[in-house]
Amino acid sequence: MGRWLLVFVLGVIAILMVSPLILTVFTSLKPTTELVNPPWYPPFNLTFEHYVRVWTEGGFSRYFFNTLVISVIDALMMILIASLAAYAMVFMEFRGKIVLQVLFLIGLMIPVTAIVLPLFQIVRSFGLLNTHLGVIFADLALAVSIFVFMFSSYFIGVPKALHEAARIDGATEFQIYRRVVMPIATPAVVTTALLEFLWSWNDLLLRLLLMTQDQMRTLSVGLLNFQGTMTRDVTGLSSGTVIMAIPVVILFLFFQRHFVRGMTAGAVK
Amino acid sequence: MAGVELKNLSKAYGDVEVLHDINLSIADGEFVVFVGPSGCGKSTLLRMIAGLEEVTGGDLMIGGKRANDLSPRQRDIAMVFQSYALYPQMTVAENMGFSLSLERRSKDEIAQKVQEAADALKLGPYLDRKPGQLSGGQRQRVAIGRAIVRKPQVFLLDEPLSNLDAALRSETRVEISELHQRMETTMVYVTHDQVEAMTMADRIVVLNAGNIEQVGSPMELYNHPATEFVAGFIGSPKMNFVKGRYADAVGAATLGVRPEHFAIGAGDNTWEGKVTLVERLGHDTILYVKVPGAGVLTVSLDGQHDQQVGETVYLRPQPEFIHKFNDNGRPVAA
Ligand SMILES: Nc1ncnc2c1ncn2[C@@H]1O[C@H](COP(=O)(O)OP(=O)(O)OP(=O)(O)O)[C@@H](O)[C@H]1O
Ligand SMILES: [Mg+2]
Repeated sequence: MGRWLLVFVLGVIAILMVSPLILTVFTSLKPTTELVNPPWYPPFNLTFEHYVRVWTEGGFSRYFFNTLVISVIDALMMILIASLAAYAMVFMEFRGKIVLQVLFLIGLMIPVTAIVLPLFQIVRSFGLLNTHLGVIFADLALAVSIFVFMFSSYFIGVPKALHEAARIDGATEFQIYRRVVMPIATPAVVTTALLEFLWSWNDLLLRLLLMTQDQMRTLSVGLLNFQGTMTRDVTGLSSGTVIMAIPVVILFLFFQRHFVRGMTAGAVK
Repeated sequence: MAGVELKNLSKAYGDVEVLHDINLSIADGEFVVFVGPSGCGKSTLLRMIAGLEEVTGGDLMIGGKRANDLSPRQRDIAMVFQSYALYPQMTVAENMGFSLSLERRSKDEIAQKVQEAADALKLGPYLDRKPGQLSGGQRQRVAIGRAIVRKPQVFLLDEPLSNLDAALRSETRVEISELHQRMETTMVYVTHDQVEAMTMADRIVVLNAGNIEQVGSPMELYNHPATEFVAGFIGSPKMNFVKGRYADAVGAATLGVRPEHFAIGAGDNTWEGKVTLVERLGHDTILYVKVPGAGVLTVSLDGQHDQQVGETVYLRPQPEFIHKFNDNGRPVAA
C-alpha cells in the first residue's frame, strides 16, 4: 500500500519534471500551422524545418561550435589546474600553504553575481573582452576552488606511503603526479570534466557579459535571440533549446553512474 | 654498495625530541636490525636514512658522503614498506620496473631486470597482474622485488613481515636472509619482533625511548646484555627478573635468570615453588612456577616433562648464566 503511494507520488513528480521537455520537443517538430493546437498535442506532421532554419539562418552552427570549444577547453584546463593545485596542497610542504588554502576557501564562498562588475573590468583591462579566452579564464577562476577541494578530498584518500614509495623509486613530484597519483584519480577527473563542461555549456551570465559580438556567442546567448519584447519565435526557441540539450543528454546517458557517484562522494565518509 | 653512518643524529618534531644523539656505524654489506618496543623511534630512524624524514640534528653519512640534505632519489636507497605501497594501477612488472623507467633505461633492459628479480622471488607467473589480484604474501614479494631490481646502495625494510601469517612470516624471513647473502647489499631492517632480529641480523640495535640501548651481534646481546632492558627484550620466553632476598644473596639489586637456565631438582641453593601452569610444546616444556619471595617465574625445560599444576618443584638457577643488575639497570661489575 505504502509502496503504491510512493510510486504514485514519484510518478507525479516525474511527469511534472519531464512535461516541459516533452512539450518543447513537440513544439520544435510541429509545422507552423499546427501551432494553433494546444501545446500538449503531439505533432501530426513531423518537420525538421525549424532545426534547419535555426542551425543555418539562426547562426546556431556557429554558436554550437563556440560553445563546444569553450566547454571542452574549460573542462580540460580545469582538470589540469585543479589537480595540480590539489596535489601541491595535499602532498607537498611549502611556505604559504595555509594562506593558499584560505584563499581557495574564500573563492568557494563568493557567488559570481556578487563580483560581476569587477570581473568585467578585469577582463577588459586584459583586452580579453569579446574573446573566448576571456570567458575561459573567468570560468576557470570562478570555479577552480570547488574543483581543488574535490581533488584534494580525493587525494587525501591516497595512502601517503604510495607517495613516499614513488619518491624512493626516484620520481620527481611531477612524475609522481603524472604516473602514480593521476592514474588512480580517474573518478575525480571524470567528475570534474563533466561538471565543468556542463556549467560552461549552460552558463549565460558570463557569456552575455563578456561577449557582445554575434560571432562569438554561445548557444545560451543565442537562445535569447528568439525572445524579443514583442515577438516570440516559439518554434525557433524550442528547436534551439533541443539542439543545446542534446549533447548534455548524451553525456548524461554515457556517464550516468559517474554523475551519481560524483554527487554522493564524500557524503558517506 | 655503501655503509651508513649516524653521527650524533637526533630528531625532533617541534619541541618534542623523539630520537636522542644516535651514534651508529653500519658497515658495507651488513645486515642490521633495529628492534625495540612500539614508539621507540625505529621507523623514524629508518625514514631518516631513507630521506623521508628531515634530520634535525647531527650527520647522516651514506657511502661516506653527507646525506642530510639529499632527496631520497639522490641517496640510491630502496625501501620496503609495511603496507607494501604498491602502485595499484600498475601491473607487477610495471611496479617492479618503475624506478628503472624513471631512469630512462631501455625497455629491454627493464624487462630483463624485472624478469631476473621475478625469477628470484618466484613471481614469474604474476607479472601481468595488478596488485589487487595478488595474495598478501605475493604483494610482499612484489614490494621486495621493486626494491631489488635497481640494486640500491642500501636496502631499508620497515616491518615487512608484520602483515603475514606466522607460517609465511618464517618462510619469508629465511628468504630475506638468503637474499641478503646473495646480494651482499647493506640492509637495515626494522621490527619489534626480537625473533626476527635474532634470526636475521649480523648486528642488532636495541632502541628504547629514542636512545640506543645496545648494539651487538645476537649472541652478544643474549649473553651479555648491557642493560636490564636489553636483557628483558632479547630472548624468548622473557628473562625472569627477581628482586628481594634471592637478589640480595648474590649482591645485586635485580637478579636475571633466563627460563632456559633453570635446572630442576632438590639440592643446595634451590628455590622452592609451586607450578601454576604448564605449557607442553613437545620440544620443550614451559612451567610457570610461583616462588615465594620471587613471584611467578617462567621455566623452560628441554624435551617433555611430567610436572603437574600444583606440584612443588625446586628450581636451581645455573650460576654461570645468571645476570646481576644494579639499581640503574646496569650489570654489576664482576
Ligand atoms: N609526525 C610526527 N609528529 C610528532 N611525533 C611523531 C611523528 N611521527 C612519529 N612521532 C613520534 O615519534 C616516536 C617514534 O615513532 P616511530 O614511528 O618511529 O615508532 P616505532 O618505533 O616505529 O613504533 P612502531 O613499532 O609502533 O612502529 C613516537 O613516540 C611517535 O609518537
Ligand atoms: Mg614503526
